[in-house]
Amino acid sequence: MDDQEAKASAAAIVSGLKKAGINFVATLPDEKMLEVIRAVEKDAELKHVPLCREEEGVGICAGAYLAGKKTAIIMQNAGFLNSCNALTTTSLQLQIPILMLIYYAGDIGDRGFTTLGAVTEPVLQAMGFRHYVLRKREDIDETLRGAQILADDSKKPVAVLLTKSVLGVK
Amino acid sequence: MQRYDYLKMIAPDAGDALAVCTGWGAREWWAVRPSDGNLKTRTLGLVSSIAAGLAIALPHRKVLALDGDGAFLMNLCGLPTIAMQNPGNLIHLLFDNEVYEASGGTATASRNTDAVTLAKGAGYKHALWARSPEECRAEFTHAWKQSELTLIAVKVEPGQPKDLPPLYLDEIENKYRFMRYLEATEHKGILKPGFDSKL
Repeated sequence: MDDQEAKASAAAIVSGLKKAGINFVATLPDEKMLEVIRAVEKDAELKHVPLCREEEGVGICAGAYLAGKKTAIIMQNAGFLNSCNALTTTSLQLQIPILMLIYYAGDIGDRGFTTLGAVTEPVLQAMGFRHYVLRKREDIDETLRGAQILADDSKKPVAVLLTKSVLGVK
Repeated sequence: MQRYDYLKMIAPDAGDALAVCTGWGAREWWAVRPSDGNLKTRTLGLVSSIAAGLAIALPHRKVLALDGDGAFLMNLCGLPTIAMQNPGNLIHLLFDNEVYEASGGTATASRNTDAVTLAKGAGYKHALWARSPEECRAEFTHAWKQSELTLIAVKVEPGQPKDLPPLYLDEIENKYRFMRYLEATEHKGILKPGFDSKL
Protein backbone atom coordinates (compact mmCIF):
# COMPACT_ATOMS: atom_id res chain seq x y z
CA MET A 1 0.00 0.00 0.00
CA ASP A 2 1.38 3.38 -0.98
CA ASP A 3 0.87 5.54 2.07
CA GLN A 4 1.45 8.79 0.22
CA GLU A 5 -1.31 8.03 -2.27
CA ALA A 6 -3.70 6.96 0.49
CA LYS A 7 -2.89 10.09 2.49
CA ALA A 8 -3.40 12.36 -0.51
CA SER A 9 -6.77 10.71 -1.16
CA ALA A 10 -7.75 10.97 2.49
CA ALA A 11 -6.88 14.68 2.51
CA ALA A 12 -8.95 15.20 -0.64
CA ILE A 13 -11.94 13.35 0.83
CA VAL A 14 -11.85 15.29 4.10
CA SER A 15 -11.50 18.54 2.18
CA GLY A 16 -14.43 17.50 -0.02
CA LEU A 17 -16.58 16.69 3.00
CA LYS A 18 -15.89 20.12 4.49
CA LYS A 19 -16.60 21.90 1.20
CA ALA A 20 -19.91 20.01 1.17
CA GLY A 21 -20.67 21.50 4.59
CA ILE A 22 -20.22 18.32 6.62
CA ASN A 23 -19.18 18.98 10.22
CA PHE A 24 -20.16 15.76 12.06
CA VAL A 25 -18.76 12.36 11.07
CA ALA A 26 -19.40 8.92 12.56
CA THR A 27 -17.03 6.17 11.48
CA LEU A 28 -16.32 2.47 11.66
CA PRO A 29 -13.17 1.47 9.81
CA ASP A 30 -12.34 -0.73 6.92
CA GLU A 31 -8.59 -1.15 6.44
CA LYS A 32 -8.90 0.56 3.06
CA MET A 33 -10.26 3.72 4.72
CA LEU A 34 -7.70 3.90 7.49
CA GLU A 35 -6.13 7.14 6.27
CA VAL A 36 -9.54 8.74 5.72
CA ILE A 37 -10.56 8.00 9.29
CA ARG A 38 -7.21 9.23 10.61
CA ALA A 39 -7.68 12.46 8.67
CA VAL A 40 -11.23 12.87 10.05
CA GLU A 41 -9.93 12.32 13.57
CA LYS A 42 -7.18 14.92 13.12
CA ASP A 43 -9.39 17.61 11.63
CA ALA A 44 -10.43 20.18 14.22
CA GLU A 45 -13.45 21.32 12.18
CA LEU A 46 -15.05 17.87 12.13
CA LYS A 47 -16.69 16.30 15.16
CA HIS A 48 -15.66 12.65 14.99
CA VAL A 49 -17.68 9.89 16.65
CA PRO A 50 -16.06 6.44 16.39
CA LEU A 51 -18.69 3.68 16.48
CA CYS A 52 -18.99 0.12 17.76
CA ARG A 53 -21.69 -0.83 15.24
CA GLU A 54 -22.87 1.18 12.27
CA GLU A 55 -26.58 1.15 13.12
CA GLU A 56 -26.04 3.20 16.29
CA GLY A 57 -24.16 5.70 14.10
CA VAL A 58 -27.29 6.28 12.07
CA GLY A 59 -29.05 7.15 15.35
CA ILE A 60 -26.28 9.43 16.56
CA CYS A 61 -26.18 11.23 13.21
CA ALA A 62 -29.99 11.58 13.25
CA GLY A 63 -29.85 13.28 16.66
CA ALA A 64 -27.03 15.56 15.52
CA TYR A 65 -28.94 16.48 12.34
CA LEU A 66 -32.01 17.50 14.34
CA ALA A 67 -29.72 19.83 16.29
CA GLY A 68 -28.36 21.44 13.13
CA LYS A 69 -25.28 19.39 12.22
CA LYS A 70 -24.47 18.24 8.69
CA THR A 71 -23.72 14.59 9.13
CA ALA A 72 -21.86 11.82 7.36
CA ILE A 73 -21.16 8.20 8.23
CA ILE A 74 -18.08 6.40 6.95
CA MET A 75 -18.32 2.61 6.92
CA GLN A 76 -17.83 -0.52 4.88
CA ASN A 77 -20.69 -2.02 2.86
CA ALA A 78 -21.05 -4.73 5.54
CA GLY A 79 -21.79 -1.83 7.91
CA PHE A 80 -24.33 -0.45 5.50
CA LEU A 81 -26.13 -3.80 5.65
CA ASN A 82 -25.91 -3.66 9.47
CA SER A 83 -27.63 -0.27 9.34
CA CYS A 84 -30.56 -1.07 7.09
CA ASN A 85 -33.22 -1.09 9.82
CA ALA A 86 -32.12 2.26 11.26
CA LEU A 87 -31.84 3.74 7.79
CA THR A 88 -35.41 2.61 7.12
CA THR A 89 -37.22 3.24 10.41
CA THR A 90 -35.29 6.35 11.45
CA SER A 91 -33.72 8.04 8.40
CA LEU A 92 -36.42 7.30 5.84
CA GLN A 93 -39.38 7.25 8.18
CA LEU A 94 -38.55 10.56 9.87
CA GLN A 95 -37.05 12.05 6.67
CA ILE A 96 -33.56 12.64 8.01
CA PRO A 97 -30.69 13.10 5.56
CA ILE A 98 -27.30 11.46 6.01
CA LEU A 99 -24.35 11.28 3.65
CA MET A 100 -23.02 7.72 3.61
CA LEU A 101 -19.46 7.12 2.48
CA ILE A 102 -19.33 3.38 1.98
CA TYR A 103 -16.23 1.39 1.15
CA TYR A 104 -17.17 -0.83 -1.77
CA ALA A 105 -15.72 -4.17 -0.63
CA GLY A 106 -16.12 -6.79 -3.35
CA ASP A 107 -16.07 -4.18 -6.09
CA ILE A 108 -14.46 -5.17 -9.39
CA GLY A 109 -10.88 -6.18 -8.64
CA ASP A 110 -11.37 -6.31 -4.86
CA ARG A 111 -10.74 -9.73 -3.39
CA GLY A 112 -12.42 -11.44 -0.47
CA PHE A 113 -15.91 -9.98 -0.25
CA THR A 114 -17.46 -10.76 -3.61
CA THR A 115 -20.82 -11.69 -2.05
CA LEU A 116 -20.97 -8.37 -0.23
CA GLY A 117 -20.00 -6.58 -3.42
CA ALA A 118 -22.74 -8.34 -5.33
CA VAL A 119 -25.57 -7.29 -3.02
CA THR A 120 -24.45 -3.72 -2.26
CA GLU A 121 -25.92 -1.80 -5.16
CA PRO A 122 -29.12 -3.90 -5.39
CA VAL A 123 -29.80 -3.24 -1.67
CA LEU A 124 -29.12 0.49 -2.04
CA GLN A 125 -31.52 0.51 -4.95
CA ALA A 126 -34.16 -1.52 -3.13
CA MET A 127 -34.06 0.98 -0.28
CA GLY A 128 -34.50 3.86 -2.67
CA PHE A 129 -31.13 5.47 -1.92
CA ARG A 130 -29.45 7.44 -4.68
CA HIS A 131 -25.88 6.21 -4.95
CA TYR A 132 -22.74 7.14 -6.82
CA VAL A 133 -19.54 5.15 -7.29
CA LEU A 134 -16.48 7.33 -6.80
CA ARG A 135 -13.38 6.12 -8.66
CA LYS A 136 -11.28 9.21 -9.44
CA ARG A 137 -9.72 11.70 -7.08
CA GLU A 138 -10.65 14.62 -9.33
CA ASP A 139 -14.36 13.76 -8.91
CA ILE A 140 -14.34 13.87 -5.10
CA ASP A 141 -15.40 17.49 -4.54
CA GLU A 142 -18.21 17.50 -7.07
CA THR A 143 -19.60 14.12 -6.03
CA LEU A 144 -19.54 14.78 -2.28
CA ARG A 145 -21.01 18.26 -2.69
CA GLY A 146 -23.67 16.97 -5.07
CA ALA A 147 -24.55 14.02 -2.86
CA GLN A 148 -24.84 16.25 0.21
CA ILE A 149 -27.16 18.68 -1.63
CA LEU A 150 -29.24 15.72 -2.77
CA ALA A 151 -29.44 14.32 0.77
CA ASP A 152 -30.38 17.70 2.24
CA ASP A 153 -33.01 18.55 -0.36
CA SER A 154 -34.58 15.08 -0.50
CA LYS A 155 -34.16 14.58 3.28
CA LYS A 156 -32.96 11.06 2.63
CA PRO A 157 -29.75 9.11 2.95
CA VAL A 158 -27.50 9.31 -0.11
CA ALA A 159 -24.59 6.92 -0.67
CA VAL A 160 -21.19 7.49 -2.21
CA LEU A 161 -19.34 4.23 -2.76
CA LEU A 162 -15.60 4.60 -2.28
CA THR A 163 -13.39 2.33 -4.37
CA LYS A 164 -9.75 1.36 -4.01
CA SER A 165 -8.76 3.66 -6.85
CA VAL A 166 -10.24 6.82 -5.31
CA LEU A 167 -8.81 5.86 -1.91
CA GLY A 168 -5.32 5.45 -3.41
CA VAL A 169 -4.96 1.95 -1.99
CA LYS A 170 -4.10 -1.41 -3.56
CA MET B 1 -44.93 0.87 40.58
CA GLN B 2 -45.19 1.42 36.85
CA ARG B 3 -43.09 3.55 34.52
CA TYR B 4 -45.75 6.25 34.66
CA ASP B 5 -45.28 6.67 38.42
CA TYR B 6 -41.62 7.45 37.83
CA LEU B 7 -42.19 9.71 34.80
CA LYS B 8 -44.71 11.73 36.79
CA MET B 9 -42.13 12.25 39.50
CA ILE B 10 -39.34 13.35 37.14
CA ALA B 11 -41.38 15.59 34.82
CA PRO B 12 -41.56 18.67 37.11
CA ASP B 13 -37.75 18.76 37.23
CA ALA B 14 -37.21 18.22 33.51
CA GLY B 15 -37.25 21.93 32.64
CA ASP B 16 -36.57 22.57 28.98
CA ALA B 17 -34.65 19.30 28.52
CA LEU B 18 -34.99 17.59 25.17
CA ALA B 19 -36.55 14.17 25.66
CA VAL B 20 -36.17 11.26 23.29
CA CYS B 21 -38.82 8.59 23.88
CA THR B 22 -39.80 5.24 22.49
CA GLY B 23 -42.59 2.69 22.75
CA TRP B 24 -45.44 3.06 25.22
CA GLY B 25 -43.34 5.38 27.35
CA ALA B 26 -43.72 8.13 24.74
CA ARG B 27 -47.43 8.57 25.34
CA GLU B 28 -46.91 8.62 29.09
CA TRP B 29 -44.11 11.20 28.84
CA TRP B 30 -46.23 13.48 26.64
CA ALA B 31 -49.00 13.22 29.21
CA VAL B 32 -46.76 14.35 32.07
CA ARG B 33 -44.49 16.74 30.13
CA PRO B 34 -46.23 17.95 26.96
CA SER B 35 -43.65 19.80 24.86
CA ASP B 36 -42.31 20.22 21.36
CA GLY B 37 -38.99 19.28 22.94
CA ASN B 38 -40.19 15.65 22.98
CA LEU B 39 -39.29 13.33 20.14
CA LYS B 40 -40.73 9.89 19.56
CA THR B 41 -38.45 7.44 17.83
CA ARG B 42 -39.27 4.26 15.95
CA THR B 43 -36.17 2.10 15.70
CA LEU B 44 -35.96 -0.35 18.59
CA GLY B 45 -32.73 0.43 20.42
CA LEU B 46 -31.86 3.79 18.94
CA VAL B 47 -33.44 6.03 21.57
CA SER B 48 -30.13 6.30 23.45
CA SER B 49 -28.08 6.86 20.29
CA ILE B 50 -30.41 9.57 18.96
CA ALA B 51 -30.37 11.27 22.37
CA ALA B 52 -26.56 11.01 22.41
CA GLY B 53 -26.35 12.64 18.98
CA LEU B 54 -28.44 15.54 20.26
CA ALA B 55 -26.38 15.80 23.43
CA ILE B 56 -23.07 15.82 21.54
CA ALA B 57 -24.35 18.44 19.10
CA LEU B 58 -25.80 20.67 21.85
CA PRO B 59 -23.43 20.30 24.81
CA HIS B 60 -25.04 23.13 26.80
CA ARG B 61 -28.54 21.60 26.61
CA LYS B 62 -29.93 18.84 28.83
CA VAL B 63 -31.03 15.74 26.94
CA LEU B 64 -33.00 12.80 28.34
CA ALA B 65 -33.07 9.34 26.82
CA LEU B 66 -36.20 7.50 28.03
CA ASP B 67 -35.12 3.94 27.33
CA GLY B 68 -36.74 0.56 27.85
CA ASP B 69 -35.08 -2.78 28.54
CA GLY B 70 -35.88 -4.23 25.11
CA ALA B 71 -34.35 -1.22 23.39
CA PHE B 72 -31.44 -1.04 25.84
CA LEU B 73 -30.50 -4.67 25.25
CA MET B 74 -30.79 -4.34 21.48
CA ASN B 75 -28.33 -1.43 21.40
CA LEU B 76 -25.70 -2.58 23.91
CA CYS B 77 -22.99 -1.70 21.42
CA GLY B 78 -24.18 1.91 21.61
CA LEU B 79 -23.17 2.14 25.27
CA PRO B 80 -19.37 2.18 24.80
CA THR B 81 -19.78 4.76 22.03
CA ILE B 82 -21.81 7.02 24.33
CA ALA B 83 -19.40 6.45 27.23
CA MET B 84 -16.43 7.36 25.00
CA GLN B 85 -18.10 10.65 24.06
CA ASN B 86 -19.16 11.08 27.70
CA PRO B 87 -21.76 13.83 27.15
CA GLY B 88 -22.29 15.35 30.60
CA ASN B 89 -25.62 16.79 29.51
CA LEU B 90 -27.17 13.37 28.82
CA ILE B 91 -29.29 11.62 31.43
CA HIS B 92 -30.07 8.07 30.37
CA LEU B 93 -33.19 6.75 32.10
CA LEU B 94 -33.94 3.06 31.82
CA PHE B 95 -37.39 1.74 32.69
CA ASP B 96 -36.90 -2.00 33.00
CA ASN B 97 -40.19 -3.92 33.04
CA GLU B 98 -38.55 -7.15 31.82
CA VAL B 99 -40.89 -7.47 28.83
CA TYR B 100 -41.23 -6.28 25.25
CA GLU B 101 -44.30 -4.32 26.25
CA ALA B 102 -45.08 -2.63 22.96
CA SER B 103 -44.67 -5.95 21.13
CA GLY B 104 -47.12 -8.00 23.17
CA GLY B 105 -45.38 -8.59 26.50
CA THR B 106 -43.01 -11.48 25.99
CA ALA B 107 -39.99 -11.57 28.29
CA THR B 108 -36.72 -9.81 27.57
CA ALA B 109 -33.42 -11.12 28.94
CA SER B 110 -33.26 -8.29 31.47
CA ARG B 111 -34.48 -10.38 34.44
CA ASN B 112 -31.19 -12.21 34.11
CA THR B 113 -29.04 -9.19 33.26
CA ASP B 114 -27.89 -6.20 35.28
CA ALA B 115 -28.19 -3.05 33.17
CA VAL B 116 -26.20 -0.93 35.62
CA THR B 117 -23.29 -3.36 35.51
CA LEU B 118 -23.48 -3.36 31.71
CA ALA B 119 -23.39 0.44 31.59
CA LYS B 120 -20.48 0.62 34.02
CA GLY B 121 -18.64 -2.03 32.04
CA ALA B 122 -19.20 0.02 28.91
CA GLY B 123 -17.55 3.00 30.56
CA TYR B 124 -20.38 4.99 32.14
CA LYS B 125 -18.83 6.53 35.26
CA HIS B 126 -22.24 6.97 36.85
CA ALA B 127 -24.84 4.23 36.66
CA LEU B 128 -27.19 3.17 39.43
CA TRP B 129 -30.47 1.49 40.30
CA ALA B 130 -33.11 3.72 41.90
CA ARG B 131 -35.56 1.80 44.13
CA SER B 132 -38.44 4.26 44.37
CA PRO B 133 -39.83 7.28 42.51
CA GLU B 134 -38.47 9.53 45.27
CA GLU B 135 -34.99 8.06 44.96
CA CYS B 136 -35.21 8.32 41.19
CA ARG B 137 -36.12 11.98 41.43
CA ALA B 138 -33.23 12.66 43.82
CA GLU B 139 -30.76 10.91 41.51
CA PHE B 140 -32.22 12.74 38.52
CA THR B 141 -31.77 16.18 40.05
CA HIS B 142 -28.29 15.17 41.23
CA ALA B 143 -27.26 14.06 37.71
CA TRP B 144 -28.75 17.28 36.33
CA LYS B 145 -26.73 19.45 38.73
CA GLN B 146 -23.51 17.47 38.40
CA SER B 147 -23.67 17.55 34.60
CA GLU B 148 -22.19 14.09 34.26
CA LEU B 149 -23.34 11.29 32.00
CA THR B 150 -25.55 9.10 34.18
CA LEU B 151 -27.67 6.00 33.73
CA ILE B 152 -30.56 5.84 36.17
CA ALA B 153 -32.24 2.46 35.95
CA VAL B 154 -35.46 1.43 37.67
CA LYS B 155 -37.37 -1.85 37.79
CA VAL B 156 -41.04 -1.29 37.01
CA GLU B 157 -44.18 -3.34 36.59
CA PRO B 158 -45.47 -3.55 33.01
CA GLY B 159 -48.58 -1.58 32.12
CA GLN B 160 -49.78 1.98 31.96
CA PRO B 161 -52.79 4.02 33.13
CA LYS B 162 -55.95 3.54 31.08
CA ASP B 163 -56.91 7.21 30.96
CA LEU B 164 -53.86 8.63 29.19
CA PRO B 165 -54.59 11.23 26.54
CA PRO B 166 -54.02 9.86 23.03
CA LEU B 167 -50.90 11.04 21.24
CA TYR B 168 -52.32 12.69 18.14
CA LEU B 169 -49.03 13.48 16.52
CA ASP B 170 -47.86 12.56 13.07
CA GLU B 171 -44.20 11.56 13.34
CA ILE B 172 -43.04 13.94 10.60
CA GLU B 173 -44.97 16.71 12.32
CA ASN B 174 -43.21 15.69 15.56
CA LYS B 175 -39.84 15.99 13.85
CA TYR B 176 -40.55 19.44 12.39
CA ARG B 177 -42.04 20.77 15.60
CA PHE B 178 -39.03 19.45 17.48
CA MET B 179 -36.64 21.16 15.06
CA ARG B 180 -38.58 24.44 15.09
CA TYR B 181 -38.63 24.30 18.89
CA LEU B 182 -34.86 23.89 18.86
CA GLU B 183 -34.50 26.81 16.46
CA ALA B 184 -36.61 29.00 18.74
CA THR B 185 -34.94 27.98 21.98
CA GLU B 186 -31.37 27.80 20.63
CA HIS B 187 -31.82 31.01 18.60
CA LYS B 188 -30.37 29.57 15.42
CA GLY B 189 -31.53 28.46 12.00
CA ILE B 190 -31.48 24.70 11.54
CA LEU B 191 -33.80 24.05 8.60
CA LYS B 192 -32.27 26.24 5.94
CA PRO B 193 -34.39 26.41 2.81
CA GLY B 194 -31.99 25.78 -0.03
CA PHE B 195 -33.05 26.15 -3.65
CA ASP B 196 -36.50 27.61 -2.95
CA SER B 197 -35.13 30.54 -0.97
CA LYS B 198 -33.48 31.87 -4.12
CA LEU B 199 -36.72 31.95 -6.13
